[in-house]
Amino acid sequence: MSGVLPLFRRNLADTWRGLVAWTVGIIAALFLYLPLYPSIAGSGQMQDMIDALPPQLVHTLGYDQISSGPGYTEATFFGLLGFAFVTIAGVGWGTGAIANDEENGQLELTLAHGVVRGQLFAERTAAVLVKLLWLALVSFVVVLALDDPSELGIEADRLLAMVTAFFGLTALSAVAAITVGAVTGRRTWALGAGAGVAVYGYALNALGNQSEDLRWLHDWSPYSWALADHPLTNGWGEQTWLLFALTAVLLLVGWLVFRARDVAV
Amino acid sequence: MTDTDHPVVTSRALVKRYGSHEALHGIDLDIPRGSVFGMIGPNGAGKTTTMRLLLDIIRPSGGELRVLGESPRGGGAGLRRRIGYLPGELHLASRVRGRELLAHYAQISGRVRPGAIEDLADRLGVDLGRPVRTLSKGNKQKVGLIQAFMHEPELLVLDEPTSGLDPLVQQEFHAMLREAKAKGQTVFLSSHVLSEVQQTAHEIAILRAGRIVALSTVTALRENAVHHARVVVSEPDASAARAILARVPGLGSVTEAQNGPGTVAFSTTLDSHVDAFVKAISALPIVDLTMEEPDLEETVLRYYDDRPGTTDHGASEPGR
Repeated sequence: MSGVLPLFRRNLADTWRGLVAWTVGIIAALFLYLPLYPSIAGSGQMQDMIDALPPQLVHTLGYDQISSGPGYTEATFFGLLGFAFVTIAGVGWGTGAIANDEENGQLELTLAHGVVRGQLFAERTAAVLVKLLWLALVSFVVVLALDDPSELGIEADRLLAMVTAFFGLTALSAVAAITVGAVTGRRTWALGAGAGVAVYGYALNALGNQSEDLRWLHDWSPYSWALADHPLTNGWGEQTWLLFALTAVLLLVGWLVFRARDVAV
Repeated sequence: MTDTDHPVVTSRALVKRYGSHEALHGIDLDIPRGSVFGMIGPNGAGKTTTMRLLLDIIRPSGGELRVLGESPRGGGAGLRRRIGYLPGELHLASRVRGRELLAHYAQISGRVRPGAIEDLADRLGVDLGRPVRTLSKGNKQKVGLIQAFMHEPELLVLDEPTSGLDPLVQQEFHAMLREAKAKGQTVFLSSHVLSEVQQTAHEIAILRAGRIVALSTVTALRENAVHHARVVVSEPDASAARAILARVPGLGSVTEAQNGPGTVAFSTTLDSHVDAFVKAISALPIVDLTMEEPDLEETVLRYYDDRPGTTDHGASEPGR
């Protein structure tokens, strides 16, 4: 009977190995990319290379800002490798929160005990979000630590704005996986929803980058809400709040449906 | 407990639909406190559906259901702490050790007496130091039984509890059921064969295609069971025997065969009326009489498929 938040703690205990692995991956990625900046950007070689690439590709990758330290950090990590890493981690955890557990038959036994549906949904969602927050925090600390040695010129408040948007963007995909899992109980649908939100946002953002005529697409891309204003260069973005608003709506829908539906059918 | 006279589980016209398929067509159940109640039926009859309704894992589509005096949904977590549940398909895929997993379930269960988990593990013979996903099916089932019994719940809901258990462990399990009953706990268990419940349950519901087709005690079932009888008489008495057997009520078809030199054997079946049968044939000079122990399984199987308008091909089963 002892202990608070038993499902939250169980989830963390079951998934700490993955969390350690992703933490190591993020640190490795940052240590691999950021120290390269002075040698590439400082010499102007980088700009020459970017100019040689097809402009569509440069716009897709968001490399048009790459000649500044913040732009480089955003384009290589927060907009690409870090985004991919943390999204994959978050969607995996999000799928595991309910859908995976239900499909392999273990959710039924947990729900037959002294817990209620809403509590299970809330505690497991909290566990996923805490893990994503941890990865965002690791990114924040490592980027800050590498800022000086790598001559990036990043300001701490802008980094906070960037990491907040980064957390919101990855949390949205993870919560999409949780909610679709909570509504359908199907692993593939949950996984598809989480990955779908990320790919959709990225693709729409890349299209919107191609020309001024297509810029309006950014208004419909979660990826753009986080990154189009370049928070690492310019500070808090105007649309970052949309990420959290949409996440909250998804959580509400998932919570309501999961409380009402039949489990394990 | 103030409601000792009330049944622990009551349902009236309980219906469960999955989309257009109706899995339960109106179940009326009363499970008295302190009893061991068995539910048997073929696969897909609705046993698991009934049990999941009690635990609020699924919700009824119609009718009434009360468990320990509360509706499963309204009773919430507090009600489920008073129940121990073993699912029909137990999946334990976690890499955590049995001990750790049970400690987790104890946190979200009713109060578990210190040492209760170890005691049960010793009785059933399972190693709780191993990761649960590496355990055999039978040993996983034991872990499932431990989590159902460990908080000594008022109501035990056990879906096919003996599946995967070897005969010795099954005996131990039956002893656990008897002790639970002695302590006043109520047990609701299911099986697809009678032999698994007849040793412990006194009341039995036979479920078929979402309906209770028979509600009986094991004793009554035994009385109404099919008896096989064989009467041997000497050849000169054969015609008299034939005449007498033709008049006994409740007799199946009689087959007659030569039985060694000078004797004739009559084989038949009877539903009940053992008394009438014995009295009727007592008029004959009997050479030999054999009555086989009634085969309850055979009796039950007749409920499974012996209904007018249905065949045994399963095609006519779902969604009426």
